[in-house]
Order: sequence, then C-alpha cells, then structure tokens
Amino acid sequence: MSGVAKPHQTVETLYTEHHRWLRQWLSQRVGCPALAADLAHDTFVRLLARPRGLNNTHGARGYLRTVAERLCIDLWRRRAVEQAWLEVLAARPEEVDISPEDQAVIVETFCEIDEMLRRLPPKVARAFLLSQIDGLTYKDIAHRLEVSERTVKSYMAKAMLECMKINARFQDARG
Amino acid sequence: MDNRPEHAPPLPEPHILEQAAEWFATLGDEDTGPEQHDRWREWIEDHPEHRRAWRYVEQISARFQQARDGAGRDGAGRILRHTRGERLTRRRLLTGGAAGLAAWLVWSRTPLPEAGGRLMAELSADQRTATGEIRDLALPDGGHLWLNSASAVDLAYGEALRRLTLHDGEVLIQTAPDPRQRPFVVDTRHGRLRALGTRFTVRRHADHSFLAVYEGAVAIRTGNGREAIINAGRQTTFQTDSIHSAGPADPARQAWSQGLIVANDLPLGELVAELARYRHGHLGVDPSVAQLRALGTYPTGRPEQALAMLENALPVRARRLLPWWVTLVPA
Repeated sequence: MSGVAKPHQTVETLYTEHHRWLRQWLSQRVGCPALAADLAHDTFVRLLARPRGLNNTHGARGYLRTVAERLCIDLWRRRAVEQAWLEVLAARPEEVDISPEDQAVIVETFCEIDEMLRRLPPKVARAFLLSQIDGLTYKDIAHRLEVSERTVKSYMAKAMLECMKINARFQDARG
Repeated sequence: MDNRPEHAPPLPEPHILEQAAEWFATLGDEDTGPEQHDRWREWIEDHPEHRRAWRYVEQISARFQQARDGAGRDGAGRILRHTRGERLTRRRLLTGGAAGLAAWLVWSRTPLPEAGGRLMAELSADQRTATGEIRDLALPDGGHLWLNSASAVDLAYGEALRRLTLHDGEVLIQTAPDPRQRPFVVDTRHGRLRALGTRFTVRRHADHSFLAVYEGAVAIRTGNGREAIINAGRQTTFQTDSIHSAGPADPARQAWSQGLIVANDLPLGELVAELARYRHGHLGVDPSVAQLRALGTYPTGRPEQALAMLENALPVRARRLLPWWVTLVPA
C-alpha cells in the first residue's frame, strides 16, 4: 500500500473527486446512464472491499478505469453465459418453468467454470472441457487434440491445479 | 445472509496441491489400475493436509458435475463453448440495458456443494455404476454381487481375505463357500462385516452404514471395535462407534437387484428418494404429499414410467420444471 494511512478516507476522497468523472467515462462506454451508474457504484464497492492508497489523480483514474473496465468485461461475459443458457433452455422440446433463483444458480455455476477455463492455456482448457463436461477418455482427447495421452494427463493435472488456485482466489475476493 | 466463513482457511501448501492435482489426473486416466487406487488412498490417509487438498479437487469436480446436471452434457458443452468462442462486441452490451445487472449483482452466493465422499469414491473404485445402472457381477468364487445405482466398490481377493470395500451406494451379496476358506468381508467407512455363509445387502450412507441379512448371518465389527452378529431376516444400521438394535428386514428391499422397487405401504417421500437414486437431476416431493402411502412395484430402470404410475395411483402429479427437474405435487 503506497503511503496512505487511512484507506477508507482514501476511498471517500476518491469517490468525491472521481465519481462523476467515472460515471461519465462509463456512460460513454456502455451507452446507458443507469448501467454506468451501477457500474461506477460497483467499482467503488470493490475498492472498499480491497482498499489501496493512490497518491495522485492520474494514478487514481487509471486504477478506477481498470477496475471499471474489468467489471464491464465480467458483465458481458455473464451476459454471454446467460444468453447461451437461454438458448439451451429454448432448445428443449417441452415448455419449462424454472424459477429465477434456480436459473441464477445454474448461470452462476457456468460463469465460474467459464472464468476458470479462460485463465487456463487454451489447449489445457479444451482438454479439461472434453474430459469433465463431455466425458471423453484421455485416449479420445489425445486423438482430438493431436497430442500424446501423457500430455493429456499433464493437462489434467495442470488444469486442476490452476482451478484450485483460481477458485481459492474467488472465495477470497468475495469473502 | 452469507454463510461463508469470514476468513477462508489458507490453501494447502503448493506441493500438496500439486500432488492432489496429479492424483486427480491419474485417477481420471482410464488406464489407471487398482494398485494406483490403493496408493492414492494411502496418500489420502497419510496426512490431514492431503485430505484437505483433496477436498479442493472435489470442489472443482463438483462444479463441473453441477454444470452437467444443470444443462446436460450437451447443453453444458454448448454453453461453455459458446462463451469461449464468442467475441462479443460492445454493441451487444449496449442493447442489454440494466436488466441483467440485478442477477449479476447477486453474483451467486451459493456455497459450494457438500461434495461428500461420492466423488472420491467414484474416482477410486474398481467397479462403479452410473446413476440408474444396476450391475450384476459374478464373483471369482462363484458368489454373486449386485451393485445398485451410483455405487462404487473395490474387490480384492487376497491371501487371507476376500475383501470388498464399499465406497458408495449399495450392494447385495450372495457369498459362496471358498475352497481356500478365506473369510468374505465387506468394509465400509464405519466398520467391517464378515459374512457367515449368506445373502445380504449393505448400503453406505454418509454418517452410517445399513445392513440387511436375508440368509445366514453377518458379523459386524465397527471402526471402534463394537461387535454384533445379525441373523437372517434382520436389519440394522451402524456407525464407527455404535450398532443400533436390529429390526425385521424387509425382503422386498432386495428387489432392486431385479430392477424393481417394491413399495409396501411406503411413504411417498421415501419412495421418491429411492427412485431419485436411479435418475439424473432433481426429483423431489412436495411436503404436503410426502406422507401419502405408496403400494406397488416400480421399475428402477424407467423412472419416467414409475412417475406415471404414481400419478395414476395417488393424488399427485409430476411438475416438470425441466426435464431433469421434477417435483411431485398435489394433483
């Protein structure tokens, strides 16, 4: 933490000085003032959860922009997951009626998996998906990815190790 | 509102996590043999930190299982590939408005599922059955072993013992006399059962084991050394430190080995819990009808037919939220 004694005071100062600017910046980005306001709010909430000192306007705005940008990306990824889920739902033959709560749980699970997978090297993620979702054997995966079975196995270990670390970080960040 | 602990315990040491990940990769390999499973179990039992690291493996696996259960394998694959392959433009975001934001803000507070011993067992057993599958196996000595839905066992015929380890689910065993006179034992996490020329069922639950004896007798010795002999026609449950008093065994329970559930004045809630063992996804019952009494014989292999039979026999109907999400409610 760079040289600021009272983090909350820092967030307060940041809020006073940069909130309006951030909202405008976000508004230009997402094109919807209400959404921009929500995202700006969340940016500061996140800052409160993990306070850090920022010693000048330039640094502060750069940091806020980074956080806000990440929130935007999270948001559209979540939308993509929701969209894909709705398409899968719509493709089901019978009419279904699932509560919003249950849907949220399902979508959340996919978001978490998606988040984990995207932090893995692409080939490792593909191998993991083929194994854990599609239920393919290592032999079949090796064939598909044109690597040795030994490599597939090392991908599995790597994927699991990374997922455990990522998952722990999520829990940490939210806790 | 939020039941997560304030401070999550730190991750196990990196080298232990690595070992856990290696074991995960090894156990997932179709070529891995039983001796590797034994070594994995030794590793697990070797240190509490190993067990703790393995829980992390189970948590991750459970996430994937939830995804498969939630959308089916195909659906799950489509969703995850869709998001991975897709390059969304900003424009998509603009048209979305703030509607999705509420959902996003509740950014799920779902605690991780209690990934019980099930997964661990599935990864380690010699013989395992999928949900809905019942397997009929001939034992090397001429005896018979039936594995119920979602069950996992290891079988080891050694010098001194014929040993079956029940990791998960339920087995029905018909023992045969061994020319070498080795005792036949069943180990569960709660204790050891020794067959005394017999036909019996063992089911492993999280916190206890269930035993019903149909022929001969079975000797129980729990993890803490309590002992009892259960004779034909009796059933009981036991835990590591206790054995409950035996009651009459219901011979109809064995019917699962023939692919049937026989309900003889069984509360609907219990019958549905039995049926749910054979079916992927959620199968529940509304509390207001859970105490209705069910009679009849229901096929385990065709859960949909079983549900239709129940709809005919009782004032209930199956409410299908999704094909894999069914609740029996008052008709």
